[in-house]
Parts: sequence; C-alpha cells; structure tokens
Amino acid sequence: MAPPPIPFRYPSPIEREIEQLATLFAQTPALTSYPARWLAIQALEGDEGILAAIEACHDPEVRAALMASRERLRAVYGDEIDIVMVDRRYQFVHDIASRAVTRPALPPTTLSDRIDQIVTHRWLGIPIFLVVMWLVFKLTTDVAAPFVDWIERVLSGPMSRWTAALLGFIGGGGGWLESLVIDGVIAGVGGVLAFVPVLFTLYFALALLEDSGYMARAAFVMDRVMRLFGLHGKSFLPLIVGFGCSVPAIYATRTLDSYRDRILTGLLVPFMSCSARLPVYVLIAMIFFPAQAGHVIFGLYLTGIVVAIGVGVLLRHTLFRQQPATPFVLELPPYRLPTPAQIWRQMWERTLAFVRNAGTTILAASVVIWLLLAIPVNREGQAVATDVEQSAFAYLARLTAPVFAPLGFGNWESSGALVTGLIAKEVVVATLIQVYVGEEPPADEASSATLSADLGEIVYGFGAAVGEAMAALVGMGGITSGTETIAPVANELATAIRAGLTASSNGHAGLAALAFLVFVLLYTPCVATLAVSRHEFGLRWMLVSLLGQFAIAWLAALLVFQGGLALGIAI
Amino acid sequence: MLYQILAILEQAEEPLSLHELSRRLNVEPSALEGMIAFWVRKGRLRDSAAVSCGQQAGCVCNAHRQGCPLRHSGPRMIALVDSR
Repeated sequence: MAPPPIPFRYPSPIEREIEQLATLFAQTPALTSYPARWLAIQALEGDEGILAAIEACHDPEVRAALMASRERLRAVYGDEIDIVMVDRRYQFVHDIASRAVTRPALPPTTLSDRIDQIVTHRWLGIPIFLVVMWLVFKLTTDVAAPFVDWIERVLSGPMSRWTAALLGFIGGGGGWLESLVIDGVIAGVGGVLAFVPVLFTLYFALALLEDSGYMARAAFVMDRVMRLFGLHGKSFLPLIVGFGCSVPAIYATRTLDSYRDRILTGLLVPFMSCSARLPVYVLIAMIFFPAQAGHVIFGLYLTGIVVAIGVGVLLRHTLFRQQPATPFVLELPPYRLPTPAQIWRQMWERTLAFVRNAGTTILAASVVIWLLLAIPVNREGQAVATDVEQSAFAYLARLTAPVFAPLGFGNWESSGALVTGLIAKEVVVATLIQVYVGEEPPADEASSATLSADLGEIVYGFGAAVGEAMAALVGMGGITSGTETIAPVANELATAIRAGLTASSNGHAGLAALAFLVFVLLYTPCVATLAVSRHEFGLRWMLVSLLGQFAIAWLAALLVFQGGLALGIAI
Repeated sequence: MLYQILAILEQAEEPLSLHELSRRLNVEPSALEGMIAFWVRKGRLRDSAAVSCGQQAGCVCNAHRQGCPLRHSGPRMIALVDSR
C-alpha cells in the first residue's frame, strides 16, 4: 500500500502571497501556459527566466503585485525570500527523513574517527604534528643526502670532463666558452639541480601527508595554537602552503575574509621556510653539522613557525588590532592509503617546476654571476682568467659585506650569495658553488680519466648512494644506533666554505654558519614573492615585507652569532 | 535548516569538521553539501575549494604552465563571509 501523501505548505505569510499571485497570474493570458502556483513560487524566488517572462507580458499590475509581495515578505522575514523558501523546503525534507530513517543512537565509529581521536587530540595533536614534521625533515636530509653527493660528483667529475672534451673537439676548449659552460652553467645550475633528490624526497613526504588526509588534521590542530596567540586559525592554511612555495601561499590568503587578515597572513607567509631554501640548509648543514643535519633543518623550520607566530602576535597587537576571528568548517577527509601513481604525479609535477625554474631564473642568474666573476676590476688580469678575488662580483659583494660582518658572515662570498638570493633562494647555492669553484685550482688527475672509468664511477657511485640511503632509512627506523653521519658535501667546496666562514667569524665558523642559516630562513623573500605581495596587497605592504623581514633576519642572525659568542658556545 | 548552519558557525569557538557539523544538524553529509553550496551561491559562506592560486590573475612564478602544482596543498575550508 502506498504511503499517504504528506502535504507541503510554506508558512502562512508566504502561502498568502503565493495564492494572491497565483490568482493574478491565472487571469493574465500571457502567463497561463505555466501552472499558476508554480509560477508564483518561482517569481517570488526570483527565477531570472520567469521574471523575464513576466516582464515580457508588459502588465504593470502583475509587476506591481509581485514587487509588493516580495517587499511584504522581506519585511516579515528580514531576509531574501528565496532563502526563507529554500530553508523551509530543506526543513520539510529533513522532517520526513527524520521520521522515515532510523539512525543508531551512536553513529558507528570508523577507523578514521578512531585515528582522529588521537591525532587531533587537544594535548597530543601538537606533539604528534611536531614528530611528523621532524620525520619529514629527517627523511629529506638523511635519505636524499647520498644522492646529492652522487650528483655533485657526477657534475664536477665526468660531466665537466665530457663537456670540456666536447668543447675541445669543436674548437671551443680552454677559453671563455668552456669557462661559461663549466664554471657558469654546470657549477651554477648543476649545483642547484644536485639538490633535486632533496626536493623530490620533501615532495614525496608532502604528497604522502596530503593524500593520506593528515595535512587537514595538521591545520585543524594548529588552529588551536594560532587562536591561543590571538591569530586567525585560517591563517595556518596559507602558512602550510608556504612550506612548498610562498607564491601560491600568498594567493591562498584569499581564503581569508578580512582584507586586514589577508595582509597580516601575507606578511607572515615568507617566514615559513619554502622548499627553495632547503638546498641552502642542506648544503650548509651537511658541511658544518653533518651528524645533526636533520635536527638543524627541523629546528630551522620550527624557528620559522615560531617567528611567524611571534611577529603575528606583535602585529595583531599593534598594526592589526581588530575584531575576533570568524570560525570555520574544515573538511577532514577520511584517511586513505595514498596511491603510488598519485604520489608520483605530485612529486613529478612539483620537482619539474623546480627544474624549470633552474632552467630559466637560475640559469640567467648563473650566467650574470659568471660574467661578473669573469670581469676584472682595476684592469688587473684578463677576462675569464680573472682571479675571483679581483672580479667585479667580489668588488660589488664587498660593498655589502660590512652589513653582514656583525653576523659572522661578512666575507664577500657569503654576502654576494645572499644578495643574489633575492632573485630566488636556490641562487644562494648556485652563487656559493660558482664563487668557490672559481677559487679552486684545476684538477690535474681529472683529464686522465677514461670514458669507461667515468661510466664505472657513475654507476658505482649511484649504487653506493642507494646503499647509503637504504642504511639511512633503516637507521631512521631505529634499527641502527643512528650515530652515523650523512655523506659530506664535495670536500673542496666544503673546505672552501668552511675556510671562508672561519675567516669572517674569527674562528667561530659553526656559529657563523648557524647565523647564516637563520638569516636565509628569515630574510627578504624572492622577487616572485614580492611581486605577488605587491599584486595582492599593494606597494606599501610589499615594502613592509621587504624591509621588515630583512631587519628581523638581521637581528635574529645577530642574536645567534653574538649571543653564541657571549655565551661561549663553541660549535 | 539553512539558518542553523550559519548559527552553528557563528557560535563555534573552534573549527568544526564537516562530519561534526553534519552530526550537529543531524543531516547526511551529502545533504549538507547542497546547503553549503546554496550559501556559497548566496555569498554568505566562502568555500576554499572555489579559491584558486590565482592562475587567472597570472601566477608569477611561471614555472608550470598548467598552474602552480603547490596550490593544491591544504584542506578544503568553509567559512562565514565577513560582512563587517
């Protein structure tokens, strides 16, 4: 037997208006092709097609009646009448569903619910988030480091030798072209590309966290921290995106409603360590803190978050003193086992973006730096064969060096690298390699290597890197003691960078390196980020970001270096 | 029903999950999606799924032709539109 029909009625004020309009429409010949009640409901809800049909019948009485009905209902409900009518229908359906559907008193607990009870727990959530972050950066450094070392060896060994031989074969060897390709392009761009394994691993970890559903929980958990400090919880989402790149992170501030909240978050985003800074951390941490590189990098990321929160609190109580934050709904998708294909796609797309950047911005920067390193000042030496100490780059970099002297890295090599890092943070690495490679004497033994020996070196090196990475992975699982150090950066480069910082810091190279890392973490964002900042917030706020971050980075690095000296910390 | 969504959001002291909102309203998540979509159309709620990195505005890094691959990071978020 069919169930009895359940009549649906709008509240009486609406029903009254519907009936009046329906009667009028039924008497209007141009509108009789529509069911009168349906037409009245559509007209009250503001259906554009129906309003056009009513308009087309050119009946002033009909139009006036409709306007009057809508005005009366608006006065009764204080809101748009279509919202009231849709709400009523939803309520009707909900009432029927409530009567017809029997739900268990307690909804069944899914596996996701059970995991969330721990992962988003009020007290456990934040420590779990920190442990996850630590694992990500430990994985990023320890597992990727052997491959970085392998690529560096291939680039500085076989690749450079083959390029030199090829250029010699076509008559371009020994001159400016060989210097440009080997000292400029391979050392600069190749030096940055050597860090692809690091980014590949980072993007693997990020994809894993995103696809598993944990990233949403991280935002959920961190919202509490943000609110604790008077910041908008929603700000943490753009900040999380900032771990990848500041550019989309600043665009992600569009999810915030208030323009002032957007500006505040946009100013904080660059403090989150973007992936472009990671090669710098890895390079310096592997040279100065090889056994603790993972911890140092994790500490830097944590420092970025702490500084962002600190600056946010300061700004919230000064420039951005205003209303409390609006709450929001966050979609916590069920936990899923990420699919290898999806993880690979994300890793590939993101790494490809980095490689493309290396092929454009970093290539251009490397060529300009090579040119400046090749041009002698004071007309001493010849172009290309210039001693880098006498180069235009060294001359220009020395002009900025006094700014960094109190921070322990006032040598021209570091100063120059930081200035060029304004183009893109990866260029810091490219510059350091170009500058120090230029200081190295040519390797005589290299020219005697045969093709088969080179190929053997590449294959053997890769095998060794895989073995070391596996050992590091096993070590992370706690099977080994975990005291083994990760593969060091190419010895010559490491020695040169260490010597440079030792000289500039009066023998406190470790402290200077730490101050350098803190400065890189916090200083002025790259030009792409500044451009987006200007696009989204205007020139004034872009300048605040540019100058403010430089000042904060300078003070923080000063605190690390001079504070470390004052406390007698010897690293 | 529709107004209850706004009321719960206005009174919430911390972020809610869609699951929690669905539980409080005693409606199926699929029905809730329709109601949220209605409020987004009316401009009372903002859905982050509808906010892009700004490809239309010109993503200045230009590293990826199809748009920034990092823009997908972060979960979907629905919030009241600030009418102040």
